[in-house]
Amino acid sequence: MINVIKSAFLLLLVFSSVCLNPSVLFAQTVGGFSQQDYAELADLPDWSGIWTPDVADQRRQATENLTPWTAEAAREISDMLLADVSGNPAGIFNDCLPEGMPTWMLISHNAFEVLFTPGRVTLLGESDNNRLRRIYTDGREHPEDPDPSYHGHSIAHWEGDTLVVDTIGILPESYIAISEATGVRNGGDMHVKERIYLAEPDIMYVDMEITAPHVLTETWETRRIYERVRGFDIVEGICLQGTSFNQVDEDGEFIFLPTMPE
Amino acid sequence: MLQLAKLKALCLLFWLAGVSLPAVSHHSFGMFDMASFEPLEGKVIAFQWTNPHVILWVEKHALEGAEPERWGIELTSPGNLQRAGITRRSLNPGDEIKVIMSPLRSGNAGGAFRSVENFTTGMSYQYDYGEVGSLQ
Repeated sequence: MINVIKSAFLLLLVFSSVCLNPSVLFAQTVGGFSQQDYAELADLPDWSGIWTPDVADQRRQATENLTPWTAEAAREISDMLLADVSGNPAGIFNDCLPEGMPTWMLISHNAFEVLFTPGRVTLLGESDNNRLRRIYTDGREHPEDPDPSYHGHSIAHWEGDTLVVDTIGILPESYIAISEATGVRNGGDMHVKERIYLAEPDIMYVDMEITAPHVLTETWETRRIYERVRGFDIVEGICLQGTSFNQVDEDGEFIFLPTMPE
Repeated sequence: MLQLAKLKALCLLFWLAGVSLPAVSHHSFGMFDMASFEPLEGKVIAFQWTNPHVILWVEKHALEGAEPERWGIELTSPGNLQRAGITRRSLNPGDEIKVIMSPLRSGNAGGAFRSVENFTTGMSYQYDYGEVGSLQ
Protein backbone atom coordinates (compact mmCIF):
# COMPACT_ATOMS: atom_id res chain seq x y z
CA MET A 1 0.00 0.00 0.00
CA ILE A 2 2.83 2.33 0.88
CA ASN A 3 4.41 1.57 -2.47
CA VAL A 4 1.18 2.47 -4.23
CA ILE A 5 1.05 5.81 -2.37
CA LYS A 6 4.72 6.40 -3.17
CA SER A 7 4.10 5.66 -6.83
CA ALA A 8 1.06 7.93 -6.93
CA PHE A 9 3.03 10.70 -5.24
CA LEU A 10 5.91 10.33 -7.69
CA LEU A 11 3.48 10.34 -10.61
CA LEU A 12 1.89 13.52 -9.28
CA LEU A 13 5.32 15.09 -8.86
CA VAL A 14 6.30 14.25 -12.43
CA PHE A 15 2.96 15.48 -13.74
CA SER A 16 3.31 18.73 -11.83
CA SER A 17 6.85 19.41 -12.92
CA VAL A 18 6.32 18.49 -16.54
CA CYS A 19 2.77 19.42 -17.40
CA LEU A 20 2.32 22.49 -15.26
CA ASN A 21 5.62 24.07 -16.22
CA PRO A 22 4.74 26.67 -18.87
CA SER A 23 8.07 26.33 -20.67
CA VAL A 24 7.40 22.61 -21.16
CA LEU A 25 3.72 23.00 -21.86
CA PHE A 26 4.33 25.52 -24.64
CA ALA A 27 7.57 24.00 -25.87
CA GLN A 28 9.23 27.38 -25.50
CA THR A 29 7.13 29.04 -28.14
CA VAL A 30 5.76 32.55 -28.19
CA GLY A 31 2.87 33.30 -30.48
CA GLY A 32 3.72 30.44 -32.82
CA PHE A 33 7.45 31.15 -32.92
CA SER A 34 10.12 29.57 -30.77
CA GLN A 35 12.66 31.33 -28.63
CA GLN A 36 15.17 30.10 -31.17
CA ASP A 37 13.29 32.00 -33.91
CA TYR A 38 13.58 35.17 -31.87
CA ALA A 39 17.24 34.50 -31.04
CA GLU A 40 18.03 34.15 -34.76
CA LEU A 41 16.89 37.73 -35.38
CA ALA A 42 20.19 38.79 -33.82
CA ASP A 43 21.96 37.37 -36.90
CA LEU A 44 20.21 39.83 -39.23
CA PRO A 45 21.94 43.05 -40.29
CA ASP A 46 21.48 46.18 -38.19
CA TRP A 47 18.75 48.20 -39.90
CA SER A 48 17.75 50.09 -36.76
CA GLY A 49 17.10 53.83 -36.75
CA ILE A 50 14.97 55.51 -39.38
CA TRP A 51 15.67 55.75 -43.10
CA THR A 52 15.21 59.00 -45.01
CA PRO A 53 15.14 59.09 -48.80
CA ASP A 54 17.85 60.79 -50.83
CA VAL A 55 15.49 63.13 -52.65
CA ALA A 56 18.24 64.75 -54.72
CA ASP A 57 19.11 61.32 -56.07
CA GLN A 58 15.44 60.64 -56.81
CA ARG A 59 15.48 63.71 -59.04
CA ARG A 60 18.69 62.54 -60.71
CA GLN A 61 17.19 59.12 -61.36
CA ALA A 62 14.10 60.70 -62.91
CA THR A 63 16.23 62.48 -65.50
CA GLU A 64 19.19 60.13 -65.95
CA ASN A 65 17.61 56.68 -65.71
CA LEU A 66 14.56 57.18 -67.88
CA THR A 67 11.54 55.00 -67.33
CA PRO A 68 10.78 52.84 -70.39
CA TRP A 69 7.25 54.16 -70.78
CA THR A 70 5.01 52.90 -73.55
CA ALA A 71 4.20 55.55 -76.15
CA GLU A 72 0.81 56.26 -74.60
CA ALA A 73 2.21 56.52 -71.07
CA ALA A 74 5.06 58.67 -72.34
CA ARG A 75 2.58 61.17 -73.76
CA GLU A 76 0.81 61.45 -70.40
CA ILE A 77 4.12 61.83 -68.59
CA SER A 78 5.26 64.49 -71.02
CA ASP A 79 2.07 66.50 -70.46
CA MET A 80 2.52 66.23 -66.70
CA LEU A 81 6.15 67.33 -66.81
CA LEU A 82 5.15 70.34 -68.87
CA ALA A 83 2.34 71.22 -66.46
CA ASP A 84 4.71 70.95 -63.49
CA VAL A 85 7.34 73.27 -64.92
CA SER A 86 4.55 75.65 -65.94
CA GLY A 87 3.46 76.00 -62.33
CA ASN A 88 0.33 73.84 -62.61
CA PRO A 89 1.43 70.45 -61.31
CA ALA A 90 -0.92 67.51 -61.58
CA GLY A 91 -1.98 66.54 -58.09
CA ILE A 92 -1.92 62.80 -58.58
CA PHE A 93 -1.85 62.16 -54.82
CA ASN A 94 -4.06 65.04 -53.75
CA ASP A 95 -6.83 62.58 -52.91
CA CYS A 96 -4.75 61.31 -49.99
CA LEU A 97 -4.92 57.72 -51.21
CA PRO A 98 -1.65 55.84 -50.66
CA GLU A 99 1.24 56.21 -53.05
CA GLY A 100 1.44 52.42 -52.83
CA MET A 101 3.99 50.21 -54.53
CA PRO A 102 6.34 50.88 -56.15
CA THR A 103 5.84 54.64 -55.82
CA TRP A 104 6.43 54.76 -52.06
CA MET A 105 9.93 53.45 -52.60
CA LEU A 106 10.49 55.58 -55.74
CA ILE A 107 9.51 59.12 -54.78
CA SER A 108 8.66 59.38 -51.09
CA HIS A 109 10.06 62.34 -49.20
CA ASN A 110 9.23 60.72 -45.90
CA ALA A 111 11.12 58.36 -43.64
CA PHE A 112 10.42 54.75 -42.70
CA GLU A 113 11.67 52.27 -40.12
CA VAL A 114 12.17 48.52 -40.38
CA LEU A 115 11.00 45.97 -37.83
CA PHE A 116 12.33 42.42 -37.76
CA THR A 117 10.14 39.76 -36.21
CA PRO A 118 10.24 36.01 -36.86
CA GLY A 119 8.94 35.23 -40.33
CA ARG A 120 8.38 38.82 -41.31
CA VAL A 121 9.97 42.17 -42.09
CA THR A 122 7.73 45.22 -41.61
CA LEU A 123 8.32 48.68 -43.05
CA LEU A 124 6.49 51.46 -41.22
CA GLY A 125 6.48 54.94 -42.72
CA GLU A 126 5.54 58.50 -41.95
CA SER A 127 3.11 59.24 -44.71
CA ASP A 128 -0.05 57.78 -46.28
CA ASN A 129 -1.80 57.44 -42.93
CA ASN A 130 1.13 55.63 -41.35
CA ARG A 131 1.99 53.52 -44.38
CA LEU A 132 3.22 50.01 -43.91
CA ARG A 133 4.53 47.08 -45.90
CA ARG A 134 4.34 43.51 -44.60
CA ILE A 135 7.04 41.37 -46.18
CA TYR A 136 6.79 37.70 -45.29
CA THR A 137 10.04 35.80 -44.79
CA ASP A 138 8.51 32.61 -43.43
CA GLY A 139 8.89 30.68 -46.66
CA ARG A 140 5.33 31.05 -47.89
CA GLU A 141 4.47 31.50 -51.55
CA HIS A 142 2.29 34.22 -53.02
CA PRO A 143 -1.42 33.41 -52.98
CA GLU A 144 -2.60 32.14 -56.36
CA ASP A 145 -5.13 34.95 -56.67
CA PRO A 146 -4.26 37.67 -54.16
CA ASP A 147 -6.73 40.44 -53.43
CA PRO A 148 -5.17 43.49 -55.08
CA SER A 149 -3.91 46.14 -52.66
CA TYR A 150 -1.89 49.33 -52.82
CA HIS A 151 1.22 47.64 -51.48
CA GLY A 152 0.60 44.22 -52.94
CA HIS A 153 1.63 40.86 -51.51
CA SER A 154 5.32 40.66 -50.63
CA ILE A 155 7.43 37.62 -49.85
CA ALA A 156 11.17 37.65 -49.30
CA HIS A 157 14.22 35.69 -48.33
CA TRP A 158 17.68 36.63 -47.16
CA GLU A 159 20.73 36.21 -49.41
CA GLY A 160 23.46 37.00 -46.93
CA ASP A 161 22.64 40.47 -45.63
CA THR A 162 20.44 41.31 -48.62
CA LEU A 163 16.67 41.08 -48.35
CA VAL A 164 15.31 39.84 -51.68
CA VAL A 165 11.67 40.87 -52.01
CA ASP A 166 9.08 39.83 -54.55
CA THR A 167 5.79 41.73 -54.78
CA ILE A 168 2.66 41.03 -56.81
CA GLY A 169 -1.04 41.71 -56.34
CA ILE A 170 -0.74 45.48 -56.64
CA LEU A 171 -3.88 47.41 -57.52
CA PRO A 172 -3.99 48.49 -61.18
CA GLU A 173 -4.88 51.96 -59.88
CA SER A 174 -1.56 52.23 -58.06
CA TYR A 175 0.79 54.70 -59.72
CA ILE A 176 4.25 54.32 -61.10
CA ALA A 177 5.41 57.85 -60.39
CA ILE A 178 8.66 59.72 -60.89
CA SER A 179 7.51 62.74 -58.89
CA GLU A 180 4.48 63.86 -56.93
CA ALA A 181 3.18 65.46 -60.09
CA THR A 182 4.25 62.88 -62.66
CA GLY A 183 3.11 59.30 -62.94
CA VAL A 184 0.65 56.87 -64.52
CA ARG A 185 -1.48 54.10 -63.10
CA ASN A 186 0.17 50.73 -63.69
CA GLY A 187 -2.91 49.08 -65.19
CA GLY A 188 -2.41 45.68 -63.55
CA ASP A 189 -0.12 42.63 -63.79
CA MET A 190 2.74 44.53 -62.19
CA HIS A 191 5.63 42.65 -60.65
CA VAL A 192 8.21 44.36 -58.43
CA LYS A 193 11.47 42.78 -57.34
CA GLU A 194 13.71 44.46 -54.80
CA ARG A 195 17.12 43.81 -53.34
CA ILE A 196 17.49 45.79 -50.12
CA TYR A 197 20.90 46.03 -48.48
CA LEU A 198 23.39 48.33 -46.78
CA ALA A 199 25.88 49.74 -49.27
CA GLU A 200 27.61 51.52 -46.39
CA PRO A 201 26.94 51.31 -42.66
CA ASP A 202 24.34 54.10 -42.81
CA ILE A 203 23.33 53.95 -46.48
CA MET A 204 20.63 51.60 -47.68
CA TYR A 205 20.20 50.71 -51.34
CA VAL A 206 16.91 49.49 -52.74
CA ASP A 207 17.59 48.03 -56.17
CA MET A 208 14.28 47.62 -57.96
CA GLU A 209 13.10 45.79 -61.04
CA ILE A 210 9.66 46.94 -62.05
CA THR A 211 7.72 45.02 -64.67
CA ALA A 212 4.41 46.60 -65.70
CA PRO A 213 3.38 45.40 -69.17
CA HIS A 214 0.54 47.89 -69.59
CA VAL A 215 2.68 51.01 -69.21
CA LEU A 216 6.33 49.92 -69.55
CA THR A 217 7.92 48.45 -72.67
CA GLU A 218 10.49 46.53 -70.64
CA THR A 219 11.49 45.88 -67.04
CA TRP A 220 12.74 49.12 -65.45
CA GLU A 221 15.76 48.73 -63.24
CA THR A 222 16.30 51.58 -60.85
CA ARG A 223 17.92 52.23 -57.47
CA ARG A 224 16.73 54.30 -54.55
CA ILE A 225 18.99 55.42 -51.73
CA TYR A 226 18.05 55.89 -48.09
CA GLU A 227 20.20 57.38 -45.34
CA ARG A 228 20.05 56.27 -41.71
CA VAL A 229 19.14 58.86 -39.10
CA ARG A 230 19.48 58.06 -35.42
CA GLY A 231 17.97 59.87 -32.48
CA PHE A 232 14.57 60.49 -34.07
CA ASP A 233 11.37 58.49 -34.06
CA ILE A 234 8.89 57.97 -36.86
CA VAL A 235 5.97 60.36 -36.37
CA GLU A 236 2.31 59.89 -37.19
CA GLY A 237 1.31 60.85 -40.72
CA ILE A 238 -2.40 61.34 -41.33
CA CYS A 239 -2.78 62.75 -44.81
CA LEU A 240 -6.21 64.38 -44.57
CA GLN A 241 -5.20 66.19 -41.39
CA GLY A 242 -3.31 68.61 -43.59
CA THR A 243 -6.51 69.80 -45.21
CA SER A 244 -8.11 70.57 -41.87
CA PHE A 245 -7.66 73.01 -39.07
CA ASN A 246 -8.21 72.60 -35.34
CA GLN A 247 -11.50 74.16 -34.31
CA VAL A 248 -13.86 74.27 -31.36
CA ASP A 249 -17.49 73.70 -32.31
CA GLU A 250 -20.61 75.18 -30.75
CA ASP A 251 -20.66 72.45 -28.09
CA GLY A 252 -17.09 73.17 -27.11
CA GLU A 253 -15.86 69.98 -28.80
CA PHE A 254 -12.44 69.95 -30.43
CA ILE A 255 -12.87 69.09 -34.09
CA PHE A 256 -11.16 69.43 -37.46
CA LEU A 257 -12.78 71.49 -40.16
CA PRO A 258 -11.54 72.03 -43.69
CA THR A 259 -9.58 75.22 -44.18
CA MET A 260 -9.39 75.00 -47.92
CA PRO A 261 -12.67 74.31 -49.73
CA GLU A 262 -12.16 72.66 -53.09
CA MET B 1 -16.33 82.75 -22.78
CA LEU B 2 -17.13 79.77 -24.91
CA GLN B 3 -19.01 81.98 -27.33
CA LEU B 4 -15.98 84.22 -27.68
CA ALA B 5 -13.74 81.23 -28.34
CA LYS B 6 -16.21 79.97 -30.92
CA LEU B 7 -16.39 83.34 -32.59
CA LYS B 8 -12.61 83.57 -32.72
CA ALA B 9 -12.41 80.07 -34.17
CA LEU B 10 -14.96 80.84 -36.84
CA CYS B 11 -13.25 84.12 -37.69
CA LEU B 12 -9.94 82.30 -38.05
CA LEU B 13 -11.57 79.64 -40.20
CA PHE B 14 -13.02 82.11 -42.67
CA TRP B 15 -9.87 84.21 -42.57
CA LEU B 16 -7.77 81.18 -43.46
CA ALA B 17 -10.22 79.97 -46.07
CA GLY B 18 -9.50 83.12 -48.00
CA VAL B 19 -5.91 82.10 -48.58
CA SER B 20 -5.28 80.02 -51.65
CA LEU B 21 -2.74 77.35 -50.80
CA PRO B 22 -2.77 73.71 -51.81
CA ALA B 23 -2.76 72.34 -48.28
CA VAL B 24 -3.24 68.84 -49.54
CA SER B 25 -1.43 65.55 -49.78
CA HIS B 26 1.93 64.79 -51.33
CA HIS B 27 1.95 67.41 -54.01
CA SER B 28 4.66 68.85 -56.17
CA PHE B 29 6.18 72.20 -55.28
CA GLY B 30 5.89 73.15 -58.94
CA MET B 31 3.37 75.86 -58.05
CA PHE B 32 6.10 77.74 -56.19
CA ASP B 33 8.92 79.69 -57.79
CA MET B 34 11.66 77.81 -55.96
CA ALA B 35 14.39 79.91 -57.58
CA SER B 36 13.02 83.01 -55.89
CA PHE B 37 13.66 84.00 -52.26
CA GLU B 38 11.42 86.77 -50.95
CA PRO B 39 11.15 88.26 -47.45
CA LEU B 40 7.85 88.55 -45.62
CA GLU B 41 7.58 90.32 -42.28
CA GLY B 42 4.60 89.90 -40.03
CA LYS B 43 2.95 88.23 -37.08
CA VAL B 44 2.29 84.51 -36.68
CA ILE B 45 -1.42 83.71 -36.69
CA ALA B 46 -1.05 79.94 -36.46
CA PHE B 47 1.57 77.26 -36.97
CA GLN B 48 -0.49 74.39 -38.33
CA TRP B 49 1.49 71.30 -37.32
CA THR B 50 -0.09 68.73 -39.64
CA ASN B 51 0.89 66.06 -42.11
CA PRO B 52 1.65 65.87 -44.86
CA HIS B 53 2.65 69.54 -44.82
CA VAL B 54 3.02 72.00 -41.98
CA ILE B 55 1.60 75.45 -42.72
CA LEU B 56 2.67 78.75 -41.21
CA TRP B 57 -0.07 81.37 -41.30
CA VAL B 58 1.23 84.91 -41.20
CA GLU B 59 -0.39 88.32 -41.07
CA LYS B 60 1.90 90.45 -43.18
CA HIS B 61 2.60 93.92 -41.88
CA ALA B 62 0.93 96.51 -44.06
CA LEU B 63 1.60 100.16 -44.63
CA GLU B 64 -0.40 102.46 -42.39
CA GLY B 65 -4.00 102.65 -43.48
CA ALA B 66 -3.83 99.53 -45.61
CA GLU B 67 -5.41 96.17 -44.78
CA PRO B 68 -2.94 93.58 -43.45
CA GLU B 69 -2.37 90.69 -45.84
CA ARG B 70 -2.75 87.08 -44.80
CA TRP B 71 -0.24 84.63 -46.12
CA GLY B 72 0.08 80.85 -45.98
CA ILE B 73 3.63 79.52 -45.99
CA GLU B 74 3.96 75.81 -46.66
CA LEU B 75 6.65 73.65 -45.09
CA THR B 76 7.59 70.00 -45.32
CA SER B 77 6.23 67.31 -42.96
CA PRO B 78 6.46 67.37 -39.14
CA GLY B 79 8.90 64.46 -39.21
CA ASN B 80 11.25 66.10 -41.69
CA LEU B 81 11.07 69.41 -39.77
CA GLN B 82 11.87 67.77 -36.44
CA ARG B 83 14.99 66.25 -37.94
CA ALA B 84 15.95 69.75 -39.13
CA GLY B 85 15.52 71.17 -35.62
CA ILE B 86 12.10 72.80 -36.08
CA THR B 87 9.30 71.84 -33.67
CA ARG B 88 5.67 72.84 -33.25
CA ARG B 89 6.85 75.19 -30.51
CA SER B 90 9.36 77.03 -32.73
CA LEU B 91 6.77 79.54 -33.96
CA ASN B 92 3.83 80.62 -31.86
CA PRO B 93 0.77 82.78 -32.45
CA GLY B 94 1.69 86.41 -31.94
CA ASP B 95 5.41 85.97 -32.64
CA GLU B 96 6.93 88.70 -34.80
CA ILE B 97 8.84 87.05 -37.63
CA LYS B 98 10.59 87.56 -40.92
CA VAL B 99 10.13 84.64 -43.30
CA ILE B 100 12.11 84.02 -46.43
CA MET B 101 9.88 82.15 -48.85
CA SER B 102 9.53 81.09 -52.46
CA PRO B 103 6.25 82.63 -53.61
CA LEU B 104 3.39 80.98 -55.44
CA ARG B 105 3.80 81.49 -59.17
CA SER B 106 0.10 82.37 -59.38
CA GLY B 107 0.72 85.56 -57.45
CA ASN B 108 -1.60 84.49 -54.63
CA ALA B 109 -0.58 85.14 -51.04
CA GLY B 110 1.32 81.95 -50.40
CA GLY B 111 4.79 80.51 -50.61
CA ALA B 112 7.17 77.69 -49.78
CA PHE B 113 9.15 78.09 -46.58
CA ARG B 114 12.91 78.62 -46.83
CA SER B 115 13.93 80.22 -43.51
CA VAL B 116 12.60 82.35 -40.68
CA GLU B 117 13.84 84.76 -38.02
CA ASN B 118 11.67 84.78 -34.92
CA PHE B 119 12.19 88.24 -33.38
CA THR B 120 10.09 87.30 -30.35
CA THR B 121 12.25 84.35 -29.33
CA GLY B 122 15.49 85.36 -31.02
CA MET B 123 15.69 82.02 -32.81
CA SER B 124 16.26 81.37 -36.53
CA TYR B 125 15.42 78.29 -38.54
CA GLN B 126 15.87 77.12 -42.09
CA TYR B 127 15.06 74.11 -44.17
CA ASP B 128 17.42 73.02 -46.91
CA TYR B 129 15.51 71.33 -49.70
CA GLY B 130 18.73 69.91 -51.07
CA GLU B 131 19.33 67.76 -48.02
CA VAL B 132 18.54 64.11 -47.75
CA GLY B 133 14.97 63.72 -46.56
CA SER B 134 13.90 67.07 -47.92
CA LEU B 135 10.56 67.79 -49.47
CA GLN B 136 11.58 69.05 -52.87
